[in-house]
Amino acid sequence: MENALLIGLSRQVALARELDVIANNMANVGTNGFKARSARFNEYLMPVARADAFRPADRSLSYVVDKGTPLDLSQGMIELTGNPLDVALKGDNYLVVQTPAGERYTRAGSLTLDKQGKLVTQTGLPVMGEAGPIAFGSSEHSMRIAADGTVSSDQGTRGKLRQVSFADPKALASEGSNLFSATVAAKPAGPEARLEPGAIERSNVKAVVELTRLMEVQRNYQSVANMITKSDELRSRAISRLADQQA
Amino acid sequence: MRAMQTAATGMMAQEMNVQVISNNIANVRTTGYKRQQIHFQDLLYEHFRRAGSATSDQNTQAPAGTFIGSGVKTVSTGRAMTQGNLTPTDKPYDLAIRGEGFFRVRMPDGRTTYSRDGSFDLDSQGQLVTRDGYQVEPGITVPNNATSVSINAQGIVEAMVPGQTAPQQLGQIQLVRFVNKVGLESIGDNLYLETAASGQPIDGFGGGEGFGTLQQNYLEEGNVQAVTELSSLIAAQRAYEMNSKVITAADQMMSATTQMFRG
Repeated sequence: MENALLIGLSRQVALARELDVIANNMANVGTNGFKARSARFNEYLMPVARADAFRPADRSLSYVVDKGTPLDLSQGMIELTGNPLDVALKGDNYLVVQTPAGERYTRAGSLTLDKQGKLVTQTGLPVMGEAGPIAFGSSEHSMRIAADGTVSSDQGTRGKLRQVSFADPKALASEGSNLFSATVAAKPAGPEARLEPGAIERSNVKAVVELTRLMEVQRNYQSVANMITKSDELRSRAISRLADQQA
Repeated sequence: MRAMQTAATGMMAQEMNVQVISNNIANVRTTGYKRQQIHFQDLLYEHFRRAGSATSDQNTQAPAGTFIGSGVKTVSTGRAMTQGNLTPTDKPYDLAIRGEGFFRVRMPDGRTTYSRDGSFDLDSQGQLVTRDGYQVEPGITVPNNATSVSINAQGIVEAMVPGQTAPQQLGQIQLVRFVNKVGLESIGDNLYLETAASGQPIDGFGGGEGFGTLQQNYLEEGNVQAVTELSSLIAAQRAYEMNSKVITAADQMMSATTQMFRG
């Protein structure tokens, strides 16, 4: 009886957690280079009593625990913008961003220049070329990024965007601000990694899928709540019925 | 219920998105207008379990961590400084810049502002001014007996004066450029101010390296594409609705919790 309540509670906690994941995906439906996460759950078997003085033996109970929120690494829609410093990444490649906390990785390729003429992200963090940050002099104009990542102006080539990939990209940690961090070292992206200049990769959140999950989560939550209510009524009725018996 | 706050950030972001888009659409016929582009970023994440953390004493590792995000934020509404189309107007003081330069405009309070809007005119003293009557640098005065005025690609202003065979040079219109044009601050009236982000203005003239050339009798249209903006508007509205659905769902889940026990 108590177990039904606790098992139901573990399911509700997991569903509330999944709702948080869906809400974050939906909030970022317009975030460039965003990768959706999904919630994954596991069965957790309660340890059983080892003593077997009583028959029948203790049976195991299943609870729900969340097992992680894996990244959905599918390609987002590529939208042409016409901005010369926008790049959409095609493949499993990432751009490298220099932050005070070390190297971070991003798929959001809408780049811009700061007042020193350095190529930076929208938050002003330098984007790394293969030989360090890329900068333009004040007399340069007509900046362009080619499909292989070569960055040039009217006065010639200024560097090549460093593109990296990971053996296990699903293990990337989300840091916020469109940045990922990795526990393992990044390796140079292969030749199949391409850039689409003058375009950006939009968020890969699939609104229909998320809304469907949202409805499922909500209904499941309510049905668990109903189950708990019912078992509570059952218990209170049992108590009052037993109290009515004349000894 | 964190989901409520998360969805609320999503709604606020889309609301600002609609504001930016509607401002772009409102300025679809504004001379020299540059459309704004909104950029979003995801907010902080809470890590319940990091990927790669040990899951047993046999060195097995968690393949994926648990990251719960807290929504979205707006980082910038930078202008897309791409060239707009040039339209012929047949007015001698209409100028369009083909390239990356800006006109220098002196405000009545002495400040210097910058503009791509070259729809100029003469004031009562024959000075070249903007539509609001602000002086175009370096200050060019056209004699009142001039019969025709020509402005070439370098911005050199020449007037034909009766009794002279050669045209009279009146001056050269200055242009400036910035390392980071996107960092300029808009103050309305098609004018921009220099900021810490844009860098110092670099002075020059039409035809100079990276300044572009001037085109007399033409104006630069705004670079807003109505079709693109309208499809963005629809997408923004739908995203707003979806985030409100998340709030509704979270609300109903909370109400399910509160109704579980009725004493």
